[in-house]
Formats: sequence, C-alpha cells, structure tokens
Amino acid sequence: MGRPPLIVVFVAIVVIALGELGGAVLSQLRPATARWAAARIAANPTMHGLTGSAEYDDAVRERTVFATEAGLSFFHTHAEGTGLVLFFAATLVASVVRRRAARATLYTLLTLGALFPLGYLVYALAVLSLGRDSGIELAETWVLTPLGSAAIAGLAGLAAALARR
Amino acid sequence: MISPPTATWRLPPRGVLLAAVLLLVAAELGGAGMGRYKVELARWARTGMLAHPGAHGLVGVRDVDERVLDEALFRFDAGLRLFHMHAEGMALVVIATTTVASTLARSPGARRVLILLLTVGGVGYPLGYLVWSALIPAYGVERSKAIAEYLLWIPFGGATIAALLWLAALTAARVVRR
Repeated sequence: MGRPPLIVVFVAIVVIALGELGGAVLSQLRPATARWAAARIAANPTMHGLTGSAEYDDAVRERTVFATEAGLSFFHTHAEGTGLVLFFAATLVASVVRRRAARATLYTLLTLGALFPLGYLVYALAVLSLGRDSGIELAETWVLTPLGSAAIAGLAGLAAALARR
Repeated sequence: MISPPTATWRLPPRGVLLAAVLLLVAAELGGAGMGRYKVELARWARTGMLAHPGAHGLVGVRDVDERVLDEALFRFDAGLRLFHMHAEGMALVVIATTTVASTLARSPGARRVLILLLTVGGVGYPLGYLVWSALIPAYGVERSKAIAEYLLWIPFGGATIAALLWLAALTAARVVRR
C-alpha cells in the first residue's frame, strides 16, 4: 500500500494521541472539570441568563455543564475515529489516485476533516463563555460544519476516484 | 509535500496483526454476546450482587436495594458496552500506529519498543472494561473500577499514550528533516 505524505501521517497520529489523552483526562478529572465549568458559569451570569432564582439557575447550570462534558466526550470519541479515518483514507489515496493534483486536494480535504473533533473542544469552551445556545451555534457554524464538510468532500472524492478505476 | 507513489507502508510483525485481529474478534463477539445474552448476563450479575450484599451496601430494604442494584446493573452493562467499543477502536489504532512505527522508526531498538508498547497497551486497555464488569457483582461498582484502573487502564492506557506521543515526535522529526 502507498504511504501518504509524512505531514498527513503526523496529523493522523497527533489526532489519535489527542483523543487518547482527552479520554484519560476526562476520566481522571471529571469532578474537577465539572467544578471548573460551574465556576465559569457563575462568573458569567448574564451570558448564561442566570436570574438569581436558585431552582432555575441550577437547571441552567446543570444543562451547560452537561454540554461541556458532552463536548469533551465527543472530542475523545471523534478524535480516535477521525485520526484512523485519515490514516486509512490517505493510504488509499496514496495507493489508487494517480494524478498529483488530485492527491494533493484529497490529502488537504481529509487532513482538514481529521481536525473536525477540535470543533467539540471549541463547543465545550464556547458554551461556557458565550452561553449554551450561542456557544453551540459558534462551534457548529465556524468549526464543525466546515471541517465536517471537508471530511465528507474528501471521502466522496476518494470514492469517485475508486469508482473510476 | 506530496510523496512519490513509490513510498509504501511496511507491515508490522505478524504477531501484532494477529493480536489486533483477535481483539477485533473479541469486540465483535462481545457486542453479539451482549445482544444475545442480555437477560442471562443481567441475571448472572444480579445473582452475584445479591450474594455480596456488603460490597453493594445493600440494607435489606427492598425499595432502597432495588435502586442500588439497578445502578450497579447499569454500570455492569456500560462496562460491557465500553469494552465492545474500545476493543473495536483500539484494534484499528494498533494496526495503524504499528504500521507507522514499522515504517518510520529507523532504529531497530526504538521500533521494537514502540511496537511493543502500542500493541500491549492497545490490546490490554479495553480488557479493563471487561474486568470492571466482571468484578462488579463481587466487589461493587467503585472498588472494581479502582481495581481495573490500577491493574489495566493506567498501565496499558499509559503505555499507549506514551507510545503515541513518542510516535508523533518521531514523525514530526522526520517531517522537519525532509
């Protein structure tokens, strides 16, 4: 099987390593993460729409901390997956795509797509600083959608190249 | 940065590939077994929990005990599911990363150590979830989690993380040198 460029291999390994590290941090530091998230929400009450009513504020805090933890958890699972997708898909590109320009385009799209899980890190942090809905919207619009689209385009391009052979 | 099509991967040793494939088989079997024997597994776990009331803090009051048993059964099931998922993922991680190590690590000593760490870490880590589940009936949720953590998750997960960071550094060095 053909080997993709070293920079592509490097990104795949780093994304997998970050996924592993994220999982380890998440499992060892879960209570500390939840406490830190709750403190960030308390420090930014207007952004989170806290009203001073304990019952309502607790519900808002709970939902936002859950969103942060979900973002970190999605980062862990997706990073493990997209690193592998980049490794195997780029190996296929190196093996079956003959034209240099087409290979370069597919490597670029697939490498950008492998960075998709970083969107979940942005998601986890943005819900704390901008509020749940605005944070999710920011991560989806500016990170998850563009990088996810790059992954889809890269994989569709690879499928087309395979179909043509 | 486009490598010539002549650049190829070197396959990792056959034993490594066999270990990864066996882990995939175990993951598939685990998933299938969980689906097929869900009731039997839950019954086995519940019987074990009732035989070790002290480990679960059972007090003999049905209302209280049922809630504790439900929570422990949920964790038992979660452990099996996490084994299934992690074993599938880690088997592929072992194949991908040992392929990179076999191809890019020039020193035979470093290559052997990297491949060993990636294989042992990758295969051993998911087994921690199986051990966690298996120990829950006799030792309770938290104690069995601590056992799995110290015996499997920390050593094997640590080996994988250390090897991946080493591999990333090695790949970065090759990128810079080119």
